[in-house]
Amino acid sequence: MKTDPPALVRVTGIVVATVLLQVSGVGSIELLGGNFDLIPIAIAAIAYCAGSVPGAVTGFAAGILLDLMVGREVGASALPLIALGYFVGRYRELRDPAHGLTPVAVVAVSTAIYLVAAAAVAFMLGLDALISLLVVRDLILTVFLNSLLALPLFWLIGRMLRPSLHIDPFVRRRRRGRPIESGPIGLRGLEV
Amino acid sequence: MRDGRNVIRRRRAILAGLIVTSVLLLTAYFGEGSDGGVLHSISSGVQTALSPIEEGVSRVFKPVRDFTSWVGDTITATGQNDELRAEVGSLREQLAASEVAARDAEQLREIAKLDRESGYPVDSNPVTARVILQPPTVWYSTIQIDKGESAGVEVDQPVVTAEGLAGKVTATTGSTATVTLITDASSAVSAQIMPKGLRGIVKPQVGDPDDLLVEFIEKDATIEEGDTVVTSGSSSSRFESLFPRGIPIGEVTDVDPAEQDLYQRVHIEPNADLRKIDFVRVLTAEPADEVGV
Repeated sequence: MKTDPPALVRVTGIVVATVLLQVSGVGSIELLGGNFDLIPIAIAAIAYCAGSVPGAVTGFAAGILLDLMVGREVGASALPLIALGYFVGRYRELRDPAHGLTPVAVVAVSTAIYLVAAAAVAFMLGLDALISLLVVRDLILTVFLNSLLALPLFWLIGRMLRPSLHIDPFVRRRRRGRPIESGPIGLRGLEV
Repeated sequence: MRDGRNVIRRRRAILAGLIVTSVLLLTAYFGEGSDGGVLHSISSGVQTALSPIEEGVSRVFKPVRDFTSWVGDTITATGQNDELRAEVGSLREQLAASEVAARDAEQLREIAKLDRESGYPVDSNPVTARVILQPPTVWYSTIQIDKGESAGVEVDQPVVTAEGLAGKVTATTGSTATVTLITDASSAVSAQIMPKGLRGIVKPQVGDPDDLLVEFIEKDATIEEGDTVVTSGSSSSRFESLFPRGIPIGEVTDVDPAEQDLYQRVHIEPNADLRKIDFVRVLTAEPADEVGV
C-alpha cells in the first residue's frame, strides 16, 4: 500500500475534526427530540468517494479515536465503523450510482446500520440494563436528522478529498460506471 | 486476472486485519482492568491533550445548543403551564408541612445529640466544572468535565447538578475527569423513597434518560406518585452507596406492582435534565477553597 501525505493529511483532518465536533458540540444539539451523529456520515462520505479499503481504514481510525477520547472500551466503536466504511465503499465500487440523491439514502441506511451495530457491540460487551422503547425513536430521529445533513456533508468532504481522488466526485455521469471488483476507486497514492 | 485476485485478497486481508486488531484491542482493554494499563494511559493522554480543544469547541457550540434547547423548551413549556400552576398550589401546602417537620426534626436531633447525616458531607468541597464532552450514543452515558486531579477530583466522588444527583467520577486526568451518569447502563445507586424511607436501587432504562427505575422495593409497600427519591447513603453490603445521604434523585411517576414476584418496580423521573448539562459540581473529599469555572 503506497502512502500519499496530502491524502493522509486530508483524511486525518476530516476524521479528527468530525470526532471532535461530534463529542464536544454537535452531539449535544437537540433538534425535534433527537441528535445528529456526524461520525457515520463522515465515514460513509469518505468511503463513498474513496472506496472500501480507505473507508474501512478510516472507520477503524475514527472508532479508535472516539473510544480514546471518551474513555471507553478501545475498539468498541471501531468494529461497526469498519463495517460501515467497507460496505459503503463496496456499494460504490460495485454499483456506482449516478443519482444525485444517492448520498441521502446511503447516509440513512449507514446511520441505521451503525446505530444497530453499536447496540449489538454494547450487548456483546455485557450491557446489563433494561432497554427503553425510546431507543427506537432516537434511532429513527437520528437517521432522519443525519439524512438532512447528507448532501451538504458529502459535498464538503468530496471537495476536501477531490485533489486526492482518482474519480472526480463532481463530474456528472449519465450512466453508472463499470463495476470495480478488483481495486479501489481510490485515493491517489493510497491504492491497495 | 491474477492482479485482480491479488487485490481482492489484499482487500480482504486488510479488512480482516482491522477487525482482528479491534478485537485484540478490546481484549487488551478489558484485560487491563479498571486500574489502568497502556491503553488506559493512552486514553488519558489523548483526553488531556485534546481537552483544551474540546472546551473551545464546546463553548463555540453553546449558543447553538442553547437556541435549540430554548426552542424545544418553549414548545414543551406551553403544554406544561397549567400542570405547573396546579403543582405550585400543592407544593405550597407541602412546604408548610415540611417547615414544621424540619423544625421538629432539628429539635429532636438536638435532644438526641445526633450528628447531621443528610445533605452533602460536612467536609466535602463542591468543585464546579464545565461539561466539555457529551456521550456519543445512548449506550454509554458518560460526560467529560474540565476539572481533574489538580482540582481535587478523584474517582468515585459524587457529581451533582443544581437539581439533583448526576452521577459519579469514574476516571480522572490532571485537568479532566470522566463522569458516569446515573443513566448509564452500568449505574446503580442505593436510594430511599421519601417520606416512607423505603430502600431500593435506582437503575437506568437505556435510551430513556427521563425514566429511571427503583428496584427491590417490597411488593406490599405503598408508594404514591410524586414521592421524592433521594440517595440513601447506606453502608450495608447490599445497598452500599458512594453517595452521601439525601441528594435528591427524582420523583416517582409510576409503579409496576405486577412486574416481579417479590418486588415492585418504581419508575422515577430524574430531577436533573441529564441531556442538557452544561455545569456540574463534584463533591470532592478534601476541604479546599471553591474552585470556579
